[in-house]
Amino acid sequence: MNGHPQFEEDFDLYAMGALEGEEKLALESHLRQCAECAAKLEEAHGRMALLALAAPSEVAPSAVKERLLRQIRADAPKVQASGAPAFLRWLAPAFAVAALALLVVAVELKIENRALLQKQSDLQSEAQVLRQETERERSVLDILTASDTVKVTLVSGAARPAPEGKAFYHPRKGLLFYTSNLPAAPSGRTYQLWIVPAQGNPISAGVFQVDSLGNGQVMLPALPPDVTAKAFAVTLEPAGGVPQPTGPKVLVGLVG
Amino acid sequence: MLVTNSSESQPGVTDAVLIRRVVQRDETALATLYDRYSRLVYSVAKRVLADSSVAEEVVQDIFYQLWRNASTLDSARGTLAGWLLVSARNRAIDRVRRRHVTDVELAADTPSRSPNLETAASQTQMMAQVSKFMGDLPSAQRTALEMAYFEGLTHSEIAERTGEPLGTIKTRLRLAIDSLKKGLRP
Repeated sequence: MNGHPQFEEDFDLYAMGALEGEEKLALESHLRQCAECAAKLEEAHGRMALLALAAPSEVAPSAVKERLLRQIRADAPKVQASGAPAFLRWLAPAFAVAALALLVVAVELKIENRALLQKQSDLQSEAQVLRQETERERSVLDILTASDTVKVTLVSGAARPAPEGKAFYHPRKGLLFYTSNLPAAPSGRTYQLWIVPAQGNPISAGVFQVDSLGNGQVMLPALPPDVTAKAFAVTLEPAGGVPQPTGPKVLVGLVG
Repeated sequence: MLVTNSSESQPGVTDAVLIRRVVQRDETALATLYDRYSRLVYSVAKRVLADSSVAEEVVQDIFYQLWRNASTLDSARGTLAGWLLVSARNRAIDRVRRRHVTDVELAADTPSRSPNLETAASQTQMMAQVSKFMGDLPSAQRTALEMAYFEGLTHSEIAERTGEPLGTIKTRLRLAIDSLKKGLRP
């Protein structure tokens, strides 16, 4: 191929790995000599990164992080073991003593500096976490104490202990939702909370799972502002949630 | 799960700062990046592999590679999120296809026009947009796109798998890509 690809979509198909045979070879050959098409391929790679977000959201077990941190700590001695002897071999013995002394001082300063930087970083992190927690608690308090917050109890009507949910919703301040006595969602399924607006389709307020006691919560999900809620509902949906409810209603509560 | 705070750890610290600290061997910075992005990486790997334990290995591999080669990341070229998402998808598909993965410079896998997903809110918002985009696609196009993207299949492999003519698969994929270009921008 000497000219540009016939189809603009070829860049995305190539970035995805779906293009093959003659079409793939021709595009690769053209890309080597066309900066304009190389830029289009870059844009396609960006779209491919976005497409990964279509995967249902799942959380890795905490053991993965622990294994990762053990792995990088196991690496540390190997990194420190190399370098110094080769460096010292190039120094005359007289300078070696002086250099070594300087090295000791430098290492001590570096260690002290690193400790101070670490301490500063820890304090900054701690302050950020506290600020974030305070802001979050203030938002929660705002919703709970505002006179115009609607409070809705969602029930299923089943035998005791009956699953129950409580939604605290303010159109500008946000939504808090707590539930209890819900059975664990079946494998591959998740609970999804919905706001049913006065007009229009239900709006997802997030997916959640329940703990071994049947308790779950959704705190301050991202929602469009100023939605007047007519009702709240919880449905059982495929893992990761769906744009619009498809599964059975587990809990429902009308506003007012 | 959607409304977890783990990805907001050290919310004021940018990825670029954390990457610099990773280069300086600061493991708390790596742990923060892990908290920020492991959900995205694991979700992609799990979707491709349909196997929790192998997906966990992919997540560990990717963050370990970030630890080893963070200095080769080029922030001017693209975002860390872009690299993580592309790597998660490519590495998971390599596992499925049993291809050998070598330790490469991270910049090679970083799309230059990649999304900024440094906050939990931006992640949730973008996931909702992509989910809506996929939901709005005609189901035949969505199936073809998912087979190409999450299973790493070529045109002819999808045609063989679905029993549909090759031309039909190509058309469906091109229409899906056309919608993608109009509907989503990194």
